[in-house]
Amino acid sequence: MAKRDIPEINAGSMADIAFLLLIFFLVTTTMDRDKAYVRPIPKKVETPIPPPDVQERDICAIVANSANQLMVRGEFVEDPDDISDLVLEFFRTNEKLTSAETAQYAMDPAYSGFEFPFYNRFGIGEIEQKIQKTTKEAEEVENTPDADPALIEYFWSKVSEWEKKKSALKLYGRAELPEISPQSHIRIEVQIKTGYEYFAKIQSEIEEALFELRDEAAQKIWGYGYGRIITRLGNEPADKEFLAKKGLLELLYPARIIEVTPKK
Amino acid sequence: MSKFKKGGKKGAPGVNTSSLPDIVFMLLFFFMVATTTKDADPTVEVTQPTGVRAEDMTPFKQRSEIDFLYLGVPRNKSRIESFDMGYALFLDNVAQPSPGDLYNVNAVRRWKLNKFDEKPDRMKQPLKEVITCVKADEQAPTGIIFDIRKELQEIEALKLAYAVKDNGNY
Repeated sequence: MAKRDIPEINAGSMADIAFLLLIFFLVTTTMDRDKAYVRPIPKKVETPIPPPDVQERDICAIVANSANQLMVRGEFVEDPDDISDLVLEFFRTNEKLTSAETAQYAMDPAYSGFEFPFYNRFGIGEIEQKIQKTTKEAEEVENTPDADPALIEYFWSKVSEWEKKKSALKLYGRAELPEISPQSHIRIEVQIKTGYEYFAKIQSEIEEALFELRDEAAQKIWGYGYGRIITRLGNEPADKEFLAKKGLLELLYPARIIEVTPKK
Repeated sequence: MSKFKKGGKKGAPGVNTSSLPDIVFMLLFFFMVATTTKDADPTVEVTQPTGVRAEDMTPFKQRSEIDFLYLGVPRNKSRIESFDMGYALFLDNVAQPSPGDLYNVNAVRRWKLNKFDEKPDRMKQPLKEVITCVKADEQAPTGIIFDIRKELQEIEALKLAYAVKDNGNY
């Protein structure tokens, strides 16, 4: 019997097929990424609780009216690019004060930074005390008969808050953990006719300021920027070490933003 | 008697194209990896404002944990008058009869719930976690965005994202 050659498959049309697919993906590709500022919406409350008293100095109000004029902390701002500087000022003015200075200046209206939020500083001893105290309270509530489960949970969340601060302080590597006044927040007030452009600009400026603050802190503590932490978490969302680092930076410079629903 | 052939037919040698598929495949794979498919072309006009340091939504898109809605002036000018302040909503993947339809804010709630119900169970995230991304025109009144926010608050979809054009990288 004659030797039979295995016939080769003609692959000439492979290129055509590949081209067809290539052109499909070429046409459907959009290279620009969707970028956005993600913000939580507060839960709806059935019975409105009276808002807690917040001191004037703890609010960083950014206002944009329907004529698209901007105001930060009661003063007109000509150039929207200046907002981030004012937000930085809000965070930085009293940041470097020691506990003793804070106690003194917080009562002194003549002090130049009186109108800005003050920081609390916690040493490890104080945090340990707080953990013990809150744990005791939580256990007490748990042991009372017919205690509301939501209430128990609330008390335990207090404990874990302090536990978090403890590990954050350890990561921070200093003697004290500074924390901006817990009531301080950034408030965005717009009107119904305010252009989205301005609303987005305000969000962008806040984000820029927060990035700069966190970046500087990250550089000081670990020698690399906040951007690297974010990139890392983008690729590896469950990286414990970097999650803790991000948590610390967010504790130091929290993004507490309140968006006020416009009425007119 | 010479060792060199002279004369005869001398055609240009054919170029070997056997590596053409390889090159094409390489390009193909690049585009396949770089592609995220677009759900629909919005029938409202949206020029996004610019911003910096915005978060990349691609990971959420890949896990389909994000719904997009567009807010802008309808391309079909005759329809402008039927919408609140002249701005209409275009919802992606609507569960309504015709996909090009435009809506007022009151349709957001049903759209969101419908999309949530349609998702297969294994891909389901709690509604609270599914981001709603508003791509609004830079001229759009912010009041409408707050109306959308209120609708989302009612159904406890508690994550809202404001889209911008961000050319920066980090």
